[in-house]
Amino acid sequence: MVREVSESCVESLLAEIVLSYCSGFYANKPELAARRIEAIGFQVGHQLSERYTMDRPRFTDNLDAIKFICKDFWSELFKKQIDNLKTNHRGTFVLQDNRFRWLAHMSVDPSVQASGNIQDPSAMAENKSAQATGMHLYFPCGIIRGALSNLGIECAVSADISNLPASLCLAFIILMPLLWLSQNLFSSISLQNADYAALLVQSIIF
Amino acid sequence: MIVCVAVVGHQNNPLYIQSFTKGDDSLLRISILNVEGCSYHSLKRHHIVHCSLDVVDERVNNPKKSGLIINETFLGLLNPTENYKVYGYLTNTKVKFILVTTDLEVRDVDARVFFGRFHTAYVDAVSNPFHIPGKKITSRKFAERVSTIVKSFGLSSGG
Repeated sequence: MVREVSESCVESLLAEIVLSYCSGFYANKPELAARRIEAIGFQVGHQLSERYTMDRPRFTDNLDAIKFICKDFWSELFKKQIDNLKTNHRGTFVLQDNRFRWLAHMSVDPSVQASGNIQDPSAMAENKSAQATGMHLYFPCGIIRGALSNLGIECAVSADISNLPASLCLAFIILMPLLWLSQNLFSSISLQNADYAALLVQSIIF
Repeated sequence: MIVCVAVVGHQNNPLYIQSFTKGDDSLLRISILNVEGCSYHSLKRHHIVHCSLDVVDERVNNPKKSGLIINETFLGLLNPTENYKVYGYLTNTKVKFILVTTDLEVRDVDARVFFGRFHTAYVDAVSNPFHIPGKKITSRKFAERVSTIVKSFGLSSGG
């Protein structure tokens, strides 16, 4: 017996989580709100990975587990496959989804863009929209981190949005060999530095 | 007849142990002293489960020597010691299920079906948002489901 929930309910719930934590519980502390949301995602990912690995043969190594996350787990969770997967073969993986369903129905307030500088309007607008959607990315990052940790892979996960609607770039780095890097990454995953995090990840890969 | 089932986490920490008999060993008397509130029987079962964990690790780490397909979840008969047979099952998330039974002839198929149902019950118990991962499973519903599964195991393999 498969029970179903409407997708709009899930999206509304996620939007409400971000709203409550950012303007309600931790009103002036976006860092704490982000960590809390990520921790919720961690537990959800932990439990979901139990359920989705149930009928599968055991994974022989880490790569199998990562393939599972990138293909089956992602499509169960977000209802579509990822569009691109890159790796540097040294523990960093970048998943790209060109139309991330959870944020597909989100738009940025155009008045925010209009109040930007005349000299650099496009960059300013992009920055503001990245900030606005940045908080919504912590929950999916937490889910992926929780699922990977339940399969035995400790990692750091970060996400970046470029050009709404929703081209999501999610990167995770296996924690063991790249401990210093993940420390840098964690410090840069704050509301103000989402772009820096993306640049850091891209610089490792390319 | 199933004596005990156990769920062991990935750090070999016990998450759930349930016994299903009340002291069937004829060599022991009820007057054996209690150790820290546990009866001798439950300690013995803990001990059996603990020993079988070593066999699980060995099976997983040396697949060629044991002749097993590496990526099977059902590990089969672990060690037929004394009066007991111990079966093992390893999930993708490194959680181990141990089944201890006194049946002399247990079909492979029955054990697999048992573990399939047990896995489903376990996943449902762990999906409970009030369950803390890594701590013991305290859900009554899970205990009831496990009892049902154990009873149906006895019936199907009785023939």
